[in-house]
Amino acid sequence: MAKWRTWLPWLLLVAAGLILPAILPPFRLNLLGRFLSLGIVALGIDLIWGFTGMLSLGQGIFFALGGYAVGMHLQLLALPPGELPEFFGLYGVKALPAFWQPFHSPLFTALCIWVLPALVAGLLGYLVFRNRIKGVYFSILTQAALLVFFNFFNGQQKLINGTNGLKTDTARIFGELVGSDSMQRNLFWLTLVLVVAAWALCRWLTRGRFGDALIAIRDDEPRLRFTGYNPTAYKTLVFAIAGAMAGVSGALYTVQSGIVSPQYMAVPFSIEMVIWVAVGGRGTLIGAVLGAVLINYAKSLVSEQLPETWLFIQGGLFLLVVTALPDGLVGWWRQGGPRQIQAMVGWPPLAPTYPGLDLDPAVQAEREALGSTPGGAP
Amino acid sequence: MTVSASTPVLELRQVSVSFDGFWALNDLNLSLAPGELRAVIGPNGAGKTTFLDVITGKVRPTKGDVVFRGRSLLGIAEHRIARLGIGRKFQTPRVYQNLTPRRNLELAVKGSHAPFSLLFGRLDSRQRDRVQQLLAVVGLEAHASQRAGSLSHGQKQWLEIAMLLAQDPDVLLVDEPVAGLSEEETERTGALLRSLAGDHTVLVIEHDMDFIRELDCPVTVLHEGHVLCEGPMEAVQSDPRVIEVYLGVEDSGVEDDA
Repeated sequence: MAKWRTWLPWLLLVAAGLILPAILPPFRLNLLGRFLSLGIVALGIDLIWGFTGMLSLGQGIFFALGGYAVGMHLQLLALPPGELPEFFGLYGVKALPAFWQPFHSPLFTALCIWVLPALVAGLLGYLVFRNRIKGVYFSILTQAALLVFFNFFNGQQKLINGTNGLKTDTARIFGELVGSDSMQRNLFWLTLVLVVAAWALCRWLTRGRFGDALIAIRDDEPRLRFTGYNPTAYKTLVFAIAGAMAGVSGALYTVQSGIVSPQYMAVPFSIEMVIWVAVGGRGTLIGAVLGAVLINYAKSLVSEQLPETWLFIQGGLFLLVVTALPDGLVGWWRQGGPRQIQAMVGWPPLAPTYPGLDLDPAVQAEREALGSTPGGAP
Repeated sequence: MTVSASTPVLELRQVSVSFDGFWALNDLNLSLAPGELRAVIGPNGAGKTTFLDVITGKVRPTKGDVVFRGRSLLGIAEHRIARLGIGRKFQTPRVYQNLTPRRNLELAVKGSHAPFSLLFGRLDSRQRDRVQQLLAVVGLEAHASQRAGSLSHGQKQWLEIAMLLAQDPDVLLVDEPVAGLSEEETERTGALLRSLAGDHTVLVIEHDMDFIRELDCPVTVLHEGHVLCEGPMEAVQSDPRVIEVYLGVEDSGVEDDA
């Protein structure tokens, strides 16, 4: 029974990975792949916000850095030797800027996708956390940093094509167009594997004493200090990890969208990321992935029919979660939400009538010690 | 530096703390001998909590010095002071509500507190035994796996005391350990604290005079940020200055409650 329950979700996941590419049209599959890749940045947000209590509104920075790393590599990959990416011609740039050079190497790019955002996040985090900036001030600061990056990237036509961004779908990997259906199917599988890997990483980070320390930072940071812990080290580390995950997410999103642009650092997009986690359920990990996929899929479906209404629906959803489901969908499910619905439709589930006795561990321990059941129990 | 038995383990030298011109501590001198049990009392606003904040590094004194084992604690971060061996229990029980009592204790138990040792290391058998033993000492074995937030007030108080013991500090600073406890629990807490003295240096801040009497130890009275008098409970109680600050005999009788 227990074994069956552990294996079932994994079986379903593998089945979905095999069946969906067969039954979904390429367009839908590509959408699903993109939204799954957003699940990785959401997992990072759950790690820093849901567990550690740091609400970052600047994850777009790290997301875009990962996207640009892969975008630059693909731009160079498509070129015959000696030529420059097309857009440089528009601005009269004759030589490849020096910082583009290492992106010829696939290995460097693969490292850069997650190491660079981790370093930027680690540095930014260290400076902020060392000065004990927390709460709202931290959120504002991350948003300000996001705006700085957004404006900087927008203005750099000669370096990274500014507002227009970098296109990736015309590049070829192993002779195959990045934008082709079969390549997109491979990318879908890659995304699926990486989402599971990211989830497993977060699970490993949060389930032991390290995770307890993160929760302790969220609930009472000064108390943890007086126990001999240095919260700055923990917060910096976990913020860097979330940054790395955002970078991977951005890279996967870029190759499946066909473009990376400064829009990835737009302020509303980073706020949306937080909403996905809030709706899915903070501190639940799986809720972050579900939230990212469900909300984005709903967004694309609604936008196809009624383009103007999505923002209202998204706002309403956020209000609903804040007021009625503070722990998100997954939190609601875990706290017996379905039982409430069951009760509402007139089919109440069985419940112990005297929970104080039946569920109190102290009473149960005493009962075992006495070796008999107390009289008058229901 | 060698520390002989007569040297105080912790010493506050002419410590003053000013909050925007208000002197929360004013030329405070206090020293604790190794293994001593000491009670600190004082009316509201006497500076009792600021006094703990200064020792544990939360507040930096405006003037004066705090010396622990011959070493000044000024400018050392809170977590380093804690690692040096000064543990603190807060006035209102501060336990990690969303963790179980066992996990609360596992976080507090003595050992490396660096991120990587928490990630890759495991508690050794000695640490696990210590956690189990402390759960038994404070009677939370049956509740070891439920959320600490669902414990009663008294159980939280004791869990926090257990967390303090898990840290295994040399000096225990205990702020109002029996607030909100039943008579029986108060008695057991007193016995626990008395049994700790000797191996540890224990400083207790409390309002409950019966409890202080039960501790049967030297008492320091704080008033307006400095030491008013020191001595055994009986002597302190009959000191006219103490009676005056507690009852406000002399002038208007207005309680100083800043």
